[in-house]
Amino acid sequence: MKKLVYTVFVAFWAAIATLVVLNALSPDANEERPRAEVGPDGLAGYSLTEVAEHDTLEDCWMVIEGVVYDISDYVPRHPAPPRVLAPWCGREATEGMRTKGDNSDHSARAWRMLERYRLGRLVEAEQASRRGNGT
Amino acid sequence: MGIVAIWTAVIMAAVIALAALVSAKPAGGVEILDALGRATGIVGLVMLLLAAALSARVPGFDRWFGGLTRLWKTHHRLGAGSLILLLLHPVLLSLARAGSGPDAAVQLLFPPLSNWPIWAGWAGLLLMMAFLAPSFSFFGQPDYRRWKLLHRLAGPAVILALVHAWQYGRTLPGDADKWLWLVLAALSVGAVAWRFVFSRRIGRLRYRVEHVTAVANNLVELVLEPAGRRRLKYDAGQFVYMAPFDRELSAGYGEEHPYTLSSSPDEDVLRVAIKDLGDASRAIQTIRPGSRVTIEGPYGKFFPDREPQKQLWIAGGIGITPFLGRARHLLARNRSVDIRLVYCVQDEARARFLDELHAIAERIKGFEVIPHFFYRQGPLDEEFLDKRVPDLSEREAFVCGPPGLNALARRLLIGAGIGRKRIRTEEFELL
Repeated sequence: MKKLVYTVFVAFWAAIATLVVLNALSPDANEERPRAEVGPDGLAGYSLTEVAEHDTLEDCWMVIEGVVYDISDYVPRHPAPPRVLAPWCGREATEGMRTKGDNSDHSARAWRMLERYRLGRLVEAEQASRRGNGT
Repeated sequence: MGIVAIWTAVIMAAVIALAALVSAKPAGGVEILDALGRATGIVGLVMLLLAAALSARVPGFDRWFGGLTRLWKTHHRLGAGSLILLLLHPVLLSLARAGSGPDAAVQLLFPPLSNWPIWAGWAGLLLMMAFLAPSFSFFGQPDYRRWKLLHRLAGPAVILALVHAWQYGRTLPGDADKWLWLVLAALSVGAVAWRFVFSRRIGRLRYRVEHVTAVANNLVELVLEPAGRRRLKYDAGQFVYMAPFDRELSAGYGEEHPYTLSSSPDEDVLRVAIKDLGDASRAIQTIRPGSRVTIEGPYGKFFPDREPQKQLWIAGGIGITPFLGRARHLLARNRSVDIRLVYCVQDEARARFLDELHAIAERIKGFEVIPHFFYRQGPLDEEFLDKRVPDLSEREAFVCGPPGLNALARRLLIGAGIGRKRIRTEEFELL
């Protein structure tokens, strides 16, 4: 019994150390996260109403920090089960991306992967229409 | 019976956790790792809380477990299982994320400080390693005092673990997580409250050292008279936790240790025979008459309520104490019995209380004391038992001594045809 517990104790620290060292050696680890809010101009604009039409796991759009993404292809590969993602489909999902439901941000790598699914920018329809009315 | 109930609860927790996770249909290695990571967390915490609940040491409660020694063994095993599972828990969860790169795995383990529930989990786990290190001799043989002090860290560790689980409890359906933790938390907090608050007020009985008999140069028998209103009610052969309050003691002031009662329950006083085995028990050899002690108990269930007809007692060294108490009790009752006591010691000089036992044997019909001297006769063997103990295979056996003798006696008795269920052993080592 004592030997088993001690073995697991040592294995635990070995595993943690391995993960930390791997992470430190990984070339991308310390890269700056791309700033999502500086989206390139000239991309198609979508309103929240349009995004809301894509609210299923098979057809899943999300708005994250002002950018619209179509992550339908990525859903099956996401580490958390799909039911965790489902409530965020078709809406503003910055909170989900930033907090993962447990107050921890997604990794830099995850943010970079997200960029592959960028569709365009969120157009704030109401503001635009107000501007159109001359206010 | 208590032991079965405890392990049933652990298995049930494991089944429920795994069922909840399987119903979410994990697909692929990553999700299975994630599910196992959650399950180890749930079951590990259930075991930790059950171990905490068992630590209450409420007198009488240990009978459900066949005595306090067995209860401590269950507690020890629960602790071991819990530490193993809770060490696996973060490793599995972070490996589940390692698929999307080592940074994701490390992020889970070491998130920003604002993510305090993870850090609460870490703090709890580190405390657990600290307070369990002596229990599993991580860094050599621990001393009793340090082990006892470190073990108090279990309190904060349990609270931190509960905070962590409460924040993450979303694996089981509905509010099942919250209810599970609430019930177990109430049990374990109740147990710890009993241990550190109520047992000190109402569980500990006040006694005074009336007399100290030096039985040998490393063995004393204390005679204790009640100093409070309540007296201890006990059966012969049970043990108590005793804490001495004599400022002159060189060690162990106010520190509780388990000691077997050597008195008969019919006596007005309690007797405790204490052999010099460590710092505290060495110091207590010089305790002064008139000193105050507290007694908590009784614990243990060596002799059954229904007394068997033919008995064989095997004592090794200081393991004679429960039998001494029982013999004194038989003398007070003055009935004929059929009991053979094989008393194993190294030589005549170490056969403590032998004269008194012979004197009792002369006065009780059917009670015979058979000394066995290791230096002269070698280890106890079948031939000796066959020759000296009539109707050996028909007897119910009670063995109390050091672990080596207990194991040897068990082997000999099973060889002699006494069924396992008819052999009871009491170990002096508590862990």
